[in-house]
Amino acid sequence: MVQYPTPISKLIEGFMKLPGIGPKTASRLAFYVLDMKEDDVLDFAKSLVNAKRDLTYCSVCHHITDIDPCRICEDKERDQSAVCVVQDSKDVMAMEKMREYSGLYHVLHGAISPMDGVGPEDIKIPELIKRLQNDDIQEVIVATNPTIEGEATAMYISRLVKPTGIKVTRLAHGLPIGGDLEYADEVTLSKAIEGRREL
Amino acid sequence: MHIKELRLKQFRNYDAINLDVENKVNVILGENAQGKTNMMEAVYVLAFAKSHRTSKDKELMQWDQDFARIEAEIERKHGPLSLEVIVSNKGKKTKVNGLEQQKLSEYIGTCNVVMFAPEDLNLVKGGPHMRRRFIDMEIGQISSVYLYDLMMYQRVLKQRNQLLKNMFPVPDQEQEVMLDVLTEQLAQAAAKVISKRFSFLQLLQNWAKDIHHQITTGNEELRLTYAPTAEVSEDMELSKIEENVKLKFQQTRQNEIRRGVSLSGPHRDELTLKINDKEVQTYGSQGQQRTAALSLKLAEIELINDNIGEYPILLLDDVLSELDHHRQSHLLNTIQGKVQTFVTTTSVHGIEHDTLKQASTFIAEAGTLKQMK
Repeated sequence: MVQYPTPISKLIEGFMKLPGIGPKTASRLAFYVLDMKEDDVLDFAKSLVNAKRDLTYCSVCHHITDIDPCRICEDKERDQSAVCVVQDSKDVMAMEKMREYSGLYHVLHGAISPMDGVGPEDIKIPELIKRLQNDDIQEVIVATNPTIEGEATAMYISRLVKPTGIKVTRLAHGLPIGGDLEYADEVTLSKAIEGRREL
Repeated sequence: MHIKELRLKQFRNYDAINLDVENKVNVILGENAQGKTNMMEAVYVLAFAKSHRTSKDKELMQWDQDFARIEAEIERKHGPLSLEVIVSNKGKKTKVNGLEQQKLSEYIGTCNVVMFAPEDLNLVKGGPHMRRRFIDMEIGQISSVYLYDLMMYQRVLKQRNQLLKNMFPVPDQEQEVMLDVLTEQLAQAAAKVISKRFSFLQLLQNWAKDIHHQITTGNEELRLTYAPTAEVSEDMELSKIEENVKLKFQQTRQNEIRRGVSLSGPHRDELTLKINDKEVQTYGSQGQQRTAALSLKLAEIELINDNIGEYPILLLDDVLSELDHHRQSHLLNTIQGKVQTFVTTTSVHGIEHDTLKQASTFIAEAGTLKQMK
């Protein structure tokens, strides 16, 4: 194998640590960086460092943020009576893109999975329960992923929250909108049949 | 459905072979250790993307090679299909008409295969896990939703068992709640699996009973029953099954915590076979057990035909010699003209049957396969 000069091979190694990037893509990216303008490269490097250095987790909802509490928690225009529980900060972004939901969030940073040694205490469930005691939240929308672990986490939360009298709801699952029925896989279809509604 | 062409590359002891299959019945003749069963295995892997005799995919690749490929042109009722299964160090890939399939559960079912091998004669005599495996494999062939439900069940079961292990010796409050959650989840998944097994066995029973009746010339009545660990029966609604499964878990909760494992559910359920109201597993003779196994396999062929509108491909690996003359001819009569069949045997000597006389014969010898003219 051809040995690259150290600066570029270090760069390639750096890219390879990112998810979804193998040796080929990494070397393509590295060589692209060599052709970029120095200012752009500096900007890029700075934004990498800044993202890591300046971002923290919101002390209320645990979403990534540069100010604490985060902009969503601080926004008094938002509906303070609903909180949407998600597994990941990326899920908050997805919900926000929708622009239909104006309540608050709570990011768990994971799902309960005994096999992986993750219990309720290891994700932000105690924080959620504490938050519910103080704030005037009336509905908890559980939007964890429709996987076994996501479902178990949802059920766990509902067990803890229901006795307090707060409404607990779960996102529906079924057919994607705008897709053709014929392209849906059997499992999704059978879920959609299970959750059918009267018209 | 039938295979028109089969190509193997670096599969077990086959370096590269290309087989044109013209006939319904194909006999693969050869001495021991020449590759007869490997050939059967290849067709099996084509259908299920896994082997019937090993869970290690590495064994499927030729010695010192890093991949094995099985390709086939098959003809189905709705037209021809090209299938491809590639097993390599990096994992498995399946393709239908050149398109890679994202999920294994989507691939399984594109080609239906029923295998009858000597170990299937133990289907009746062997442990309950063999019968559960039989049910799961067969329902899986006709229902990909079942495969999914079963996978879900197994996944929750693993989570629950791990939790139960963590709970020993003194469970904390959180773990108790979590056990409730996982019990509920497991009961939901279990109910789906159980209810599908009930309805499948009902259908299988209908066919198996008639077939068994014929083989035994009306002397024996075969009955299949699903023997669940929970108090459930087939006339119950899904929600009722779920409730009763959950009840069973609640009753054994302390015991489960002590033992660190889930003690009831579909993974512990049993399929019982009775001949004239006596359990074949315990009281049946060798011959009765074999006949019952044969009846089940033949019923499965009919059931698949019933479900998908065409007969599956049948693989008979070294079983003809294990059956007596009467059962041999019953088997051969059943497949005659309608089921594409691959038969392996060391010798056709002594088997006088039209089905075999009209068959194509291939000779397996040291990793080659030649058609005998």
